[in-house]
Amino acid sequence: MSDILLAFESVEIRRGMGIVVSDFSLQVSSGEVVVLHGENGCGKSTIIEAAARILPIEKGQVLQHGELVIDSEGRRKVPTVPFGLTLQQNGLVGSDTIAEHLGNMMSICQTKTNLATVLKQYSLGHRSNDLIAHLSGGQQRKVSVITGLLPAMISKSPRLILLDEPDSGLDDSAIQVLCQHITSLRLAGHAFLIATHDERILKCATRINNLKHDTEQKPPNGDAWQLPEVEVTKPNNWLMTGFAYNLKTKAGFANNGIAGFLTLGILLSMVEPFELNNLLGLKMGFVLLPAFVAGLCGDPVVNLLRENRALDWWQANTATPRAIIIPIVTGAVLTTISSYIFLENLQYIVIVSGSLTTLICSLIIGFLQLSTNKLSRPQAVFIRLLTPILILPWSIVVNELIAYI
Amino acid sequence: MGQRIRASFLGLGFIGIMSTLYLGLMWAPSVAIDAFDSPAAQKIFYWHVPSAWASFIAFTVLFIGSGLWFFKRSPTGWRLHVAGAEAGLATGLMTVWSGTVWASAEWGTPWDWTDVRLNTFALLTLLALFLVLGRRSQPDGVETRDTFSAFGLFGFVLVPFTYIATRFWVIRHPGPVVAAGSDGSLQSEMALVLFIGAISFTIFIIGHILTSMHITKLEQRVEMLQSEIDKGG
Repeated sequence: MSDILLAFESVEIRRGMGIVVSDFSLQVSSGEVVVLHGENGCGKSTIIEAAARILPIEKGQVLQHGELVIDSEGRRKVPTVPFGLTLQQNGLVGSDTIAEHLGNMMSICQTKTNLATVLKQYSLGHRSNDLIAHLSGGQQRKVSVITGLLPAMISKSPRLILLDEPDSGLDDSAIQVLCQHITSLRLAGHAFLIATHDERILKCATRINNLKHDTEQKPPNGDAWQLPEVEVTKPNNWLMTGFAYNLKTKAGFANNGIAGFLTLGILLSMVEPFELNNLLGLKMGFVLLPAFVAGLCGDPVVNLLRENRALDWWQANTATPRAIIIPIVTGAVLTTISSYIFLENLQYIVIVSGSLTTLICSLIIGFLQLSTNKLSRPQAVFIRLLTPILILPWSIVVNELIAYI
Repeated sequence: MGQRIRASFLGLGFIGIMSTLYLGLMWAPSVAIDAFDSPAAQKIFYWHVPSAWASFIAFTVLFIGSGLWFFKRSPTGWRLHVAGAEAGLATGLMTVWSGTVWASAEWGTPWDWTDVRLNTFALLTLLALFLVLGRRSQPDGVETRDTFSAFGLFGFVLVPFTYIATRFWVIRHPGPVVAAGSDGSLQSEMALVLFIGAISFTIFIIGHILTSMHITKLEQRVEMLQSEIDKGG
């Protein structure tokens, strides 16, 4: 018997208040292409997202490669074997180039290869160094589909690929290439779970599942996928990915740094530093305020990844990249400048405090943002109402620093 | 539970609250002239302390409701969560508002950002505001209920923390009054008015919670009927 790469065991999933999927069991083995087929709203995407650990499940459990990845008790585990995922909303970050985004997927798989041929097949060869934001909708979809197929394309051992409506927005020739890839990767032993209405992709299936019954069918024959030359790389590091995103997009400066500098400017417009000579408490508050405000702007990488469900894509595949280094630097720079202006000297302990203030505040706000990410409208949820509690520890730090100095 | 019972709780509570205000302002003695910087402002305690007491009841209801939804998926639990958040917001705002009026007179500043009790209580009130506004911004569903219930559970950690904060980190806020133990130094008339206030606010908040739960139940029924119409159409 071939390896079971994905198993749903009596799974029940709710969306909104309704039960969308009830008592659903399915196994997808190596060398199989299972297509979920049914009318809109029947739960195809729900199943794909539950398999990727994006949606919580009410009953049952989901296993990948025999290991539990999510269950109804709330246990969630990043799969030890990387898998491919194409969401309906692409999951791409506009400030990445195609090469960078595919590079991220390859680093999650700890494998590197030259993808020029694949990109050429999807008519993207000349675009590999273009920003994703500069591509058309169809081209972005192609990138998302290639990203989904990538773990299988660069692996000798069987990989699970989850594709949600991969055909939407693709032109005929791209769908034809996609069908060829599905067939050749299947023949190489990889497994697919695909949600689609497209007849051409339906023909690639070994089984069609309408969420109630399976229907077996004979898929087309062809050549098995030839593994390109690959080399092993270091695993993806969420800290370095977050740093790279920050460096590339300057999101840390745009989100946090500018707010900090604006605060400094406002303080300077209100008062001349020499007027504070005998008011050490006020001076120290002014020194640490820009760093505090910068931290209150949250985690710039989390803000960035809210585009196109990129956060869901990252959370499904590995840990969420977070900004750690940039807030430390931002806080240190802001506090150095404000110390120089208001205290007229630079003290190591004050600068470290400013740096940690920005870091800790941005991490807490980032955590709050992530905790509401599963909501239908995470941006509309008033999470910032909880941030005033940070004023208390900030005030305590200011008081402690006054006492120390 | 019948409309008459809910109305009785609300009416009785309201009369009690008004009586507390009258007794507090007109009958209860003032504190000694040297006890506070602004002894006249102390009379606002007859509003501030009972509303704080009622807010802790509301936050307890919020916690129980959040737990019942989060762990048991109980629809009644969700109604308790909604009612607890709304009642917690109302009473929390009453407490914060009256506290800032008193603090302005007594301390010369309406707020102290370094006082642990003030800030943890403000967070509880903001949490209730977050839950009320946040719930209205989202479509109803398990994801929405799970997320807000988790915040409701987290918020309750602050309730005992806020209560004991003045015992461990007294900076400005006076110590506990309700259930403070035998060392309290309140005059009997003052204690009586505070007691009437606490009972009245408790009755009122029970009425508020029952009414709010009933409204949520009706909202859920309307939604269910609408989705049935959607399916039929």
